[in-house]
Amino acid sequence: MIRLKNVFWQRARKQEKPVLSDLSFSVPQGGFRWLLGPSGAGKTSLLNLLHIESLPARGDLEILGKPVSADTPRATLVRLRQRIGMVHQNYRLMPGLSVVDNVALPLRLQHRPEDEIHDEVHAILKWVGLGERIGVPAANLSGGEQQRTAIARAIVHRPGLILADEPTNALEEPQAHKLLDLFDELSTMGTTVLVATHNEALIRRLPRPSLYLERGRLVREGE
Amino acid sequence: MALPFSGRKDGLSLSEALPDRSLFILVAMMSFLAALTLTGATGARALSARWSGGAAQLLTIQVTAPDHVPDGAGSTKNATQKTRADLVVDALAALPPGTQVHRLNKEELAHLLAPWLGDANNSALPLPAVIEVRLPAGTDSPPTLEQTLNAQVPGTVVEHNAEWSSRLRALADSLLACAALALAAVGGIAALITALATRSGLSSRRDIIRILHGLGATDSYIAGRFASRTGALAFGGGLLGTVLAMAPLALLFRMAAPFAATSLQTATAAMPSWDTLPRLLPTDLLIGLAGLPVVAAFIGWFTTQVMVRLWLRGMP
Repeated sequence: MIRLKNVFWQRARKQEKPVLSDLSFSVPQGGFRWLLGPSGAGKTSLLNLLHIESLPARGDLEILGKPVSADTPRATLVRLRQRIGMVHQNYRLMPGLSVVDNVALPLRLQHRPEDEIHDEVHAILKWVGLGERIGVPAANLSGGEQQRTAIARAIVHRPGLILADEPTNALEEPQAHKLLDLFDELSTMGTTVLVATHNEALIRRLPRPSLYLERGRLVREGE
Repeated sequence: MALPFSGRKDGLSLSEALPDRSLFILVAMMSFLAALTLTGATGARALSARWSGGAAQLLTIQVTAPDHVPDGAGSTKNATQKTRADLVVDALAALPPGTQVHRLNKEELAHLLAPWLGDANNSALPLPAVIEVRLPAGTDSPPTLEQTLNAQVPGTVVEHNAEWSSRLRALADSLLACAALALAAVGGIAALITALATRSGLSSRRDIIRILHGLGATDSYIAGRFASRTGALAFGGGLLGTVLAMAPLALLFRMAAPFAATSLQTATAAMPSWDTLPRLLPTDLLIGLAGLPVVAAFIGWFTTQVMVRLWLRGMP
């Protein structure tokens, strides 16, 4: 689950205006939330904060049942990050690595056995339609293929929390629908899912509660 | 279909982030300097030990006209007449128990004087007797020894090593301290070079590290990957620098060997042959030289560990 109570976040300590202001909401385990709002509303900043790429300046943040603050031991933060799957807007793939090595990274960093990694990665790449592209370097992939690789990497280790920033903007509609169905299925299996999007067609296809941000504040929450 | 897994691939590409040449060559140069300094330190330590030990207990006594029989020397009947050298040797029996007295024989004396006189056996010059006296540890020669000997055998010269050995020991200790400082400076420079290389590598891999960090890589993992790379490079550089230093070291040792004699009997002006040189190199120096690449690798590894971990502290 995710829980925020009066959370503020700003890029630099001396910066006067926080990017995220007084955010309070919670998403239960297995919950699915759309994260909506105009460009610059703070959606990406919120997702990065929930991915523990930075820490809140103020307020209480709880991710997967663990409090996250400057006092949280680094080992705990590492373990939490290992339980989060993040799809970045710019994919953040390792350009020099092949598709298979990119997707295998989260598992290898958790020291999973290579045969287990082999099976998991093979299955997920087949599912995202990259079964024939496994040896291609990420730098040589099309935008859609990079996005699918990033999605595969985000879910291959079966995370407890999936954060996705515009995960379908480079995908064809059928692939986008297929991905949404997967996220929905994962949430029914207990994975908490938070998806930032501008795509209203997707939201109409999968009506789920949403969080609406404006200028770093939560202005609407609900269906 | 088998997946083409190929070992540990995490995208850091450290062979590009930390190029071989610069760090490798700089560490090789540092190790070369360290090897030379280590040799100097070993030499200074050996001299210090020698001058604070055996050499300080050594007296050298010269007796001119050694084979001359003084008037009234020896008994008048049934006894051999004693030469000036014999009288001095007899007088030395009064020194503390355990004192070793050795008069250099003709061959030893000729060997000792060969650098100055050539073949001293055929020299027309009258040669003095040289008597080497080694006092037991912790004892001093009587301050009036020279006067006592001169009273019996006028013209006897006593050279007290102890008089100058303390100064030489102080000099050797100073050299040893300088060598230690030089070694520390070389180590510090090596650490600084590694730190700069690591910082450059971190800058060029900032985004990749952020991705790995986001995927749950521990500080130990990232620091370990960088440190393994710099440690390996430093080991290679250290090995090369040490091997390159062996040639000048061997040359120096060969030239210094004649001065390393522990007594007048073993002193020689001739340089040892190249094939016997390895046996003359002190064991502690060889161990120190063998340890240099390991120390270089440790400096590289440790410095990188610290640098990367400090850098990672900028991320939660």
